[in-house]
Amino acid sequence: MTPNRAKILVVDDDPDFREAMTAILTAASYGVVTASNVSEGTKAILSERPDLILLDIMMDSLFDGYSLCHAIRSSKEFECARGTPVIFVSAVRQIAGSRFGFKGEDQGLSGPEDYIDKPVKPADLLARIDRFLKK
Amino acid sequence: MTETAPLVLVIDDEEAMRDSCSQILLKDRYRVETAKDGVTGIRLVRDLHPAAVIVDLKMPGMSGFEVLESLPGIDPHIAAIVITGYATVDSAVEAMKRGAHDFLPKPFTPEALRVILARSLERRRLVLEAEALRKEKQLLEENFVTMVSHQLRSPLVAIQQNFEIMLAGLAGATDDRLKAMIHKANERLNALLRLINEWLDLSRIGQGRFVGAFQRLDVRKTLDRLVELMAPSARDSGVSLEWAGGSGPAFDVMADEQALEQVFANLINNAIRYNKPQGRVRIDLRDDADSVIVEIQDTGIGIAPEHLPSIFDQFFRVGRPGDKTPKGSGLGLSIAKKLVEAHHGRIEVRSEVGVGTSFTVRLPRAAAGGAMAGGAPA
Repeated sequence: MTPNRAKILVVDDDPDFREAMTAILTAASYGVVTASNVSEGTKAILSERPDLILLDIMMDSLFDGYSLCHAIRSSKEFECARGTPVIFVSAVRQIAGSRFGFKGEDQGLSGPEDYIDKPVKPADLLARIDRFLKK
Repeated sequence: MTETAPLVLVIDDEEAMRDSCSQILLKDRYRVETAKDGVTGIRLVRDLHPAAVIVDLKMPGMSGFEVLESLPGIDPHIAAIVITGYATVDSAVEAMKRGAHDFLPKPFTPEALRVILARSLERRRLVLEAEALRKEKQLLEENFVTMVSHQLRSPLVAIQQNFEIMLAGLAGATDDRLKAMIHKANERLNALLRLINEWLDLSRIGQGRFVGAFQRLDVRKTLDRLVELMAPSARDSGVSLEWAGGSGPAFDVMADEQALEQVFANLINNAIRYNKPQGRVRIDLRDDADSVIVEIQDTGIGIAPEHLPSIFDQFFRVGRPGDKTPKGSGLGLSIAKKLVEAHHGRIEVRSEVGVGTSFTVRLPRAAAGGAMAGGAPA
């Protein structure tokens, strides 16, 4: 791994998906850290200081992704990570089209920087990540 | 998220009292903030969200009673404890009436403070827990279908994700034959995903949860957007889309925009898919005394008269020999009909084998003179 490439945290409860993301990101020589739920994700954000976070929405509970994203933006605990770009990677929007019965902004929650549907196309994912990490 | 010690706010005008409370509480590993008057105290409650407030009843300016009364508006479950030098039964009763959990007469021992605070915090914890459970349960009920569909879709999406990795060459070289097979497998998965989606829509409609709030909208604009959206797929199928366009009078209805879009998208999509090569799809918009009428006509293969009565039934599909286009789920028209009916409208079909099919959607016109905020009509 080239040490000067950025480090990306993948938070997702599906092990196959974490593996797939790791394959895509390491092939593009990013550093990858994975977490399978909100509490692991929290620890990883604080200890690993990732440059970007790929976040699943539905994990242990319905809106885990939203709550973690909101915490990163607003809670004191995550002060060091407040500016870290968050990209939602989820099949939620697809699941229910635009009908998904929850809108973060309705609950006063801060949203992510971007949103990618699962399944993720490697080229698409890398292009979006690039946009945030380009110096 | 990590567990942190509860924050306790001490509101008292006497510095000695604030200090001694702080010392006792800090020794017990609480986090402590203090305020020397009620106004500051309320501001801190708002800003810091303490778990408990210990407030002196008798203070200059805003009294402890007034502080107590403002607390529920900020945090209905905050543990409120009052301390006072004039520990009469009357003021105790009065304080409890105004929302205090407990009462601490001055002078009190560190032990008394500890016990009373712990008891109040425990009560708060139980109330919050019950509240959280209730919310979680409600959330689960409201989103049950979403959860189930998530469970159904997750494995399929994981399979597709692995396909994407293979197609990107990240799992070793793939030759064209393998790629073609992956594409085929992917198509089948997509069809299954569509089926799950449509089933989900149907069960939502059944629960009366699909169609949201109605708002006044111009059907012409909706159709205009959809035609633009679907033009590429028509082009790919070699079918021409005929639509008079977005200029012309507005035809307002009261509708849930997304639901209405879904109805027309489904009908236009069908008209494109089940058309003949070089076929045409014509979309007409007109109105009569009480309805806005949308007609979607294709030059497709048509539907046999014996099949027409079943066309809106769930899972009804007309078999077509030699058909190469992927089959639909057989739910689309059934969904469209239910959605139109949810708008107090009607959907009708006419068809002639070999000539084409025409779907007519009638929606009640919105009452004239709705709020036209800003912007003059074109």
